Amino acid sequence: MAVGSLVLLVATIMGIYSLLAIGLNMHWGDTGLLNFAHAAFFAIGAYTSAILTTQPETGLLATRTVGASLPIPVGIVAGTALAAVAGVLIAVTSVRLEGDYLAMVTLSSAELIRLVIHNEGWLTSGAQSLKGIQRPLEGAVPLRYDVFYFLLVVAVLAASYLVFRRLAGSPFGRVLHAVREDEDVPLALGKDTTWFKLKSFGLGAAIAGLAGGLWAHYVYAITPSMFLPNITFTIWAAVIIGGAGSYLGAIVGTVFIVGIRQITRFVPSDVPFASDLPYIRLVVIGVLLIAVLYYRPYGLLGDEERMLAGTEEGAD
Amino acid sequence: MAAFDPQFLWNGLVVGSIIAVAALGLTLIFGILNFINIAYGDYMALGAYVAFAANVQYDLNIVVAALLGMVGMAVGALVLDKLVFERFRSRSAIVLLVVSIGLAFVLRNLIRIVWGTGNRRFSGPIEAAPQVLGVRMLPDQVAILVISVAILAGTYVLLRRTRIGIAMRAASDDTDLARVRGIDTERLVTYVWLAGGAIAGIAGILLGLDAQIRPNMGFTSLIPIFAAVILGGIGDPIGAVAGGYAIGVTQELSVMVIPSEYKPAIGLLLLIIGLLSRPEGLFGEATR
Repeated sequence: MAVGSLVLLVATIMGIYSLLAIGLNMHWGDTGLLNFAHAAFFAIGAYTSAILTTQPETGLLATRTVGASLPIPVGIVAGTALAAVAGVLIAVTSVRLEGDYLAMVTLSSAELIRLVIHNEGWLTSGAQSLKGIQRPLEGAVPLRYDVFYFLLVVAVLAASYLVFRRLAGSPFGRVLHAVREDEDVPLALGKDTTWFKLKSFGLGAAIAGLAGGLWAHYVYAITPSMFLPNITFTIWAAVIIGGAGSYLGAIVGTVFIVGIRQITRFVPSDVPFASDLPYIRLVVIGVLLIAVLYYRPYGLLGDEERMLAGTEEGAD
Repeated sequence: MAAFDPQFLWNGLVVGSIIAVAALGLTLIFGILNFINIAYGDYMALGAYVAFAANVQYDLNIVVAALLGMVGMAVGALVLDKLVFERFRSRSAIVLLVVSIGLAFVLRNLIRIVWGTGNRRFSGPIEAAPQVLGVRMLPDQVAILVISVAILAGTYVLLRRTRIGIAMRAASDDTDLARVRGIDTERLVTYVWLAGGAIAGIAGILLGLDAQIRPNMGFTSLIPIFAAVILGGIGDPIGAVAGGYAIGVTQELSVMVIPSEYKPAIGLLLLIIGLLSRPEGLFGEATR
């Protein structure tokens, strides 16, 4: 029974992180945008929904004076929307920049957002955890709650997967792919490429915000340290290993990376180096990322043409 | 708004020196290799930890330890190039950037495995801070300023007066043209990693001297460094140094106006203002 709970826990985390990977695949896989702010969109979704659905803190040590006790679906929708707005705002300042500039600006913006969450205790509880987040329908569902939540996450993931894959194949997605391959071409055809990039940024950020809402209502309590740039880099590793440009690849890559990170938690503590395992597995992920880029640049399920586009190999 | 206090200006010059040195190293590497090395912050941390090991674990003089950290990181950067980046040289800048993310994961966590996650300090007595013109100047701060200026001046001479430096500048401007003119760009890459690695190492050591040595110390200071590099026009060494001082001084002076928790945001703010007004950098020409 305990093993079943652990498997469900890991599978639920895989599902939520897969949503993040879908968002990043819209940015990087479809549009070729270097977004390094993903952890911030995740945080915005989580904090917005948590703040909107809880009461203000009470008692002697209370710091947070804001809270609205709204229904959970309202919180999650608002978190998704606000993450989309943040994505568009960050993109407005930077999306016209060359790729590597965009990477640096988005990474910096994400840290700025985390700084605000960390310092504005009246709104977010600051460095302490924002506690007492409700779980949707807890006690009201006829099956085991962790099974229910896992199914909920899978349902959201499946719907998102279908929507985003359809988007990628639609005329909208084809413009995004054209932007990725060579921006001058859609520009010459009269497409407002900046506008398309903003939409791509907003959509990908929205789904990261949705993932944040699902995360907040799953873990009861959230802290700023859950949203470090490490999350962004882990999702990048997942998308690259899975194969940029493929939504199925993004999910497979996430399952793989989260699997490595979580399964090693169950290694008994008396094996050599057990205390260093959290760091060893990050070393392993780093090595894997480099190895995949070297031996299989288009990832496990990626599109070979997509990876070669815009590179010197592709030009030959 | 508090009255102007020269103490903040002094602190800004010290912090700015560290950012300037770090930004110089990053921009040199970018100039020749044309990609953003996300692992650069971790090179800084590694340099600091090598010096820490020599200084505290092997009880060597801090000056010797710092030199070992610099040399160690210069060689380290070259070895990492041979092990990792060289294989990807023909790929796009974006692939190299993602590769450097993987490398950053590896380096930062190897540091945690070898040295633990706690805060460390170089050994040395806690010295009194003499007042000069109403400003408390810690001996460590004076050392940071002097060493930074020496590094910056040394690099300037290297770039302006030596054959290697002139070749570096030529290749940074136009790699293909430099190659046509008979410059061995592969050899230049070696020199750039040596110089960039040594500069990263000393920047990390200075950062550790100013504050503490932590595994993620370099990574968390990447943002002001990025901001300095972009403000100065990416790939432009003089611009990077000017950007570094501008950000350090503004950041520390900002404490008089805004809550100090938001100090780290100043770099980003300058970055965004800079990008919107002069996308090519403070001194850059519109070449990108």
